[in-house]
Amino acid sequence: MNVDRVLKFELSRLNVHLPERRISLKDALESEKPQVAARDGSIHRFKREELDFLAKVVPKADWGRLQLPVLIALDPKLGRGAARITGEVEARTIDQILGKKGKGEELLIYRPEVAIVRRKLPTTTQYLFVPG
Amino acid sequence: MAAVAVVTPTRMELLKLKQRVSLAQKGHDLLREKMDALVIEFFEVLRRIGEARTGALKQLSLAHRTLSVCSAIMGTIETRQASMEAKRELEVEISTRHVMGVVVPTLEVDKVERNALARGYSLHTTSSVLDEASKEFEKALGLLVKLAELEGSAHAIARELERTKRRVNALEYILIPQLKAALKFIEMRLDEMERENFSRLKRIKAMLEAGA
Repeated sequence: MNVDRVLKFELSRLNVHLPERRISLKDALESEKPQVAARDGSIHRFKREELDFLAKVVPKADWGRLQLPVLIALDPKLGRGAARITGEVEARTIDQILGKKGKGEELLIYRPEVAIVRRKLPTTTQYLFVPG
Repeated sequence: MAAVAVVTPTRMELLKLKQRVSLAQKGHDLLREKMDALVIEFFEVLRRIGEARTGALKQLSLAHRTLSVCSAIMGTIETRQASMEAKRELEVEISTRHVMGVVVPTLEVDKVERNALARGYSLHTTSSVLDEASKEFEKALGLLVKLAELEGSAHAIARELERTKRRVNALEYILIPQLKAALKFIEMRLDEMERENFSRLKRIKAMLEAGA
């Protein structure tokens, strides 16, 4: 039973890095210290250069709708290496970064694309683990 | 197989084991996803370290070459004297970012390069090559701070990767097979008990019929 307790603890720790509340790109750009507080109480900072990059990619009208960090959801149900991005503006932004033409509120990307997204946006994206 | 030996073959235990297998499987899938993501992060950081190290070494080599020229022109003692006069307080803002629960450092330096007046040595007694050498070293310093951040990240991610891999392997090769073996044992034992019961009933029925 001890193993089960360790496992449950591990699973409960998987998403502690996620923010308590996300902030919009507009707020992040206006803030002197663009950051969010994580569930474990730590601080996650966004890099200014990434925010400037996003400001160029996203139309100004959508700055208030793009919530940061963009969550890359890893769901074992989707299969190994597949990830989901939800939210209309978020999906469109990632589409644009990957040079794809998609539409809708949800976007499915695969491991090589996840690597590209993480390379371009290391602080403004975060992984979310979806328990089955 | 030792785990199988101590399992009580009851339906209650069977239900409990099924729950444990499901939890272990779920944990394994999620931890494997985490491991895959950590591998992506790790290789990305390694790639960036390679680039940063090449850049920093190139810049340091250029800076040392400029310093040699400076020593040749100004003289070694004068150069050393100027370096002692130079004052430097570099403000580095150290914050953190999270890569799947791994806290990695983020270093931000406001401005590494300064103008000649801010360096602190006398401009009357030194040559312009000293300014050039200082500038090159300041550029190298900026690159080294970047490299330090990346190396710190690589160490933290590698530690977490090792830990996660150990857990995934323990689940995949030890815990889940053990639980499945125990599950199979209970199912077989329960089936066997059912068969025994059935044949016992048949025997009793036959005896009753023979008696009547």
